[in-house]
Amino acid sequence: MLFKSTRRLIPSSFLALVMKEIQQILQNKEIVVLLTIAPILQIMLYGFALNPDINKIDLGIVDYAHGSESRELVSALTENQVFVAKQFSSSQEELGQQVRNGNVTIGLVIPPQFKQQLTQNKSADLQLLVDGVDANTAGIASGYMLRMIQQHGRQLLPNSTPPLVRPVHTFLYNPGLISSWFFVPGVIGISITLVSSLVSALTVIREKDTGTLEQLLMTPAATWEILVAKIVPLFVLLMGTVLLALGVARLVFGVPIKGNFLLLLLLSGLYLFVGIGIGIMLATIAQNQQQVVLTAFFINIPLIQLSGAIAPIDSMPTFFRYLSWLNPLRHFVQILRSILLKGVGLEMLWPHVLALVMFAAVFLSISISQFRKQLT
Amino acid sequence: MKRIWSQCLKELAQFQRDRLTVALAFLLPLISLLILGFAIRLEAKNIPLVVQDLNNTPLSRSYIERIFATNQFTAVLWPGGDPAIHALDHGFAKVVVIIPPDFSRQIKSGRGSDVQVLIDGTDTNNARVIQNSIHTTTTFFLANAGVETTSNPLKPHLRLWFNPGRKESLYIVPGVFGFLLWVFPGILAAMAMVREKEKGNIVQVYASSMTATELLLGKGLAYLFIGLGEALVLMLIGSLIFQLGFAGDPLPLLIGTLLYLGTSVMFGLMIGSRAKDLISTIQAISLIGFMTALLLSGFIYPIKNIPFPLVHLADLVPARYFIQISRDAFVRGTGWLGIWFPMVMIVVLGLLFFWTANRTLQKMQLPD
Repeated sequence: MLFKSTRRLIPSSFLALVMKEIQQILQNKEIVVLLTIAPILQIMLYGFALNPDINKIDLGIVDYAHGSESRELVSALTENQVFVAKQFSSSQEELGQQVRNGNVTIGLVIPPQFKQQLTQNKSADLQLLVDGVDANTAGIASGYMLRMIQQHGRQLLPNSTPPLVRPVHTFLYNPGLISSWFFVPGVIGISITLVSSLVSALTVIREKDTGTLEQLLMTPAATWEILVAKIVPLFVLLMGTVLLALGVARLVFGVPIKGNFLLLLLLSGLYLFVGIGIGIMLATIAQNQQQVVLTAFFINIPLIQLSGAIAPIDSMPTFFRYLSWLNPLRHFVQILRSILLKGVGLEMLWPHVLALVMFAAVFLSISISQFRKQLT
Repeated sequence: MKRIWSQCLKELAQFQRDRLTVALAFLLPLISLLILGFAIRLEAKNIPLVVQDLNNTPLSRSYIERIFATNQFTAVLWPGGDPAIHALDHGFAKVVVIIPPDFSRQIKSGRGSDVQVLIDGTDTNNARVIQNSIHTTTTFFLANAGVETTSNPLKPHLRLWFNPGRKESLYIVPGVFGFLLWVFPGILAAMAMVREKEKGNIVQVYASSMTATELLLGKGLAYLFIGLGEALVLMLIGSLIFQLGFAGDPLPLLIGTLLYLGTSVMFGLMIGSRAKDLISTIQAISLIGFMTALLLSGFIYPIKNIPFPLVHLADLVPARYFIQISRDAFVRGTGWLGIWFPMVMIVVLGLLFFWTANRTLQKMQLPD
């Protein structure tokens, strides 16, 4: 029995079957778009649009002192383009209105006695009005502002010395703090999940709709053979999408591949089985194509938000942090970022790999048993 | 007018009959509100930090104490033998602070000492947060440890407006309203439109005396009511859970929501009238509606940060304007003065969608 079925899978005829299946899948224009254009668009859009950089923050200024000291302060603050002097107001009320309307993010008030206070060696009080609506930007921008003011103040001292404790920062893995390096691996994960599950669901349910699955059942092939013959072509095509996605990341965004490329492909392949498993499961549970696409659409939000692809998992409430462990995408995003940016290997990634193996096993076995039920 | 109204009533009756869709129309946005509202926190708390104190003197210990006093970091113990950088590689820590052996001596002699800070730069946003935090702590330490003899002549006083506690939910949740009220009413309306087309009902409609415009307005009105229901549920429950209140006059939000829902329904009807089947409709909505409202609306990061050609695409995204209105109503509170322009833009885009959908339907009415 076993001998017979393995003989039926001798490479040449099996290869022919796979090639035929691939050709058939590629005849469907929608699926070709899903495999190629959709991931490219997604990666480009997320990669360019999501940008937390603190750059060119609008600064509004009221200068009551009108002296060279205040001009020096302003030029020191706007020197490196983090802050841009957008508006000079004549009074604090006017500046306040600008901050209130959101025209400027930070308002700086230089008091009339600024010069006297500095020359008499007293401390000069500066008012900073910060638009706190965008809490994240406000936090980082005001932190920068305080640092720059302190630095400038230190230089004003007659015997200016560097501070006694000097933190020397080194940013590892992404020394230039290029934000797309953070987002792009995450979006590759999102994209591969959506594409692999949607494409495999659509190909399977189409056969269900047209009744060709019943015809297949009439042939002497065993259920697992039918499934293997379905999964292998999907896997081959999706592997192409993975390479495409990595190519965009490398060429368009310059994301480094610090780790082992082979390991990256191997684990992406493993993740494809999770995606294919989800897709076939969806197809066996859903009644028609419409339900498949709708469900895939609605799964989007929790899948993406609880994966750490956009917002870091560390800062989520405890409940959601634990919930995210049940999200296969979370593990894959972690694997992608670790291999691409940190260059670490299996010795550190094995918990996530183990999780993916489990997800793949669970989803595939559910879909196989569902598949069997429907075929008999 | 009467025909529009009866079309609207018919549509509502049809919607109500499908219990599953009704449940999904209200339950899914609510679940999404909870996930988005709770899970998007850009700034990390409890950042795991490893300290390697090679100095181990009272001075270095008080410096370390000061770092943890910010409540932003949690200590991770790391065995001395292993290089601390491995803690970052493994992901056990996000920061490593290494205090050199001569820390105390160098400070007391007045030369000062470097402190090495290794930061995991993967999450660029939080890498900056960490950098700032270590700097602020260090300044505070120097001012209070009594080692600095001169004091800084500039004394900045920070005043955070609108959101003094920097609660991120205050920024995120009004944005979530904009995102969800774009995606859900839009997809419901699009599905209703395309289903009509798929079943061939639309030909029957044209056989009657009803015009394309009347059909469009009738359907639009029905889904506007449904969207209004969704908006009410979302804003009520969202305000209660995330403790939002009106910062000013609620009237602009009310009018803005109405206009925005009209635009989002019209967008759905436009997609529905142009798409060839349900699957391509849903895909079009998920690509155009979902992604633009998520990425080009200023929902997560400021629109200003989007690079050049893409930033102008954002001008055509209605969600971006509504999020401005919603943030103004719940946080900023400037009222009409600050938001008349977004209002106008929502109306303009809504009319554009209506015009396109209307033309598409009219063309279908006259084959050949």
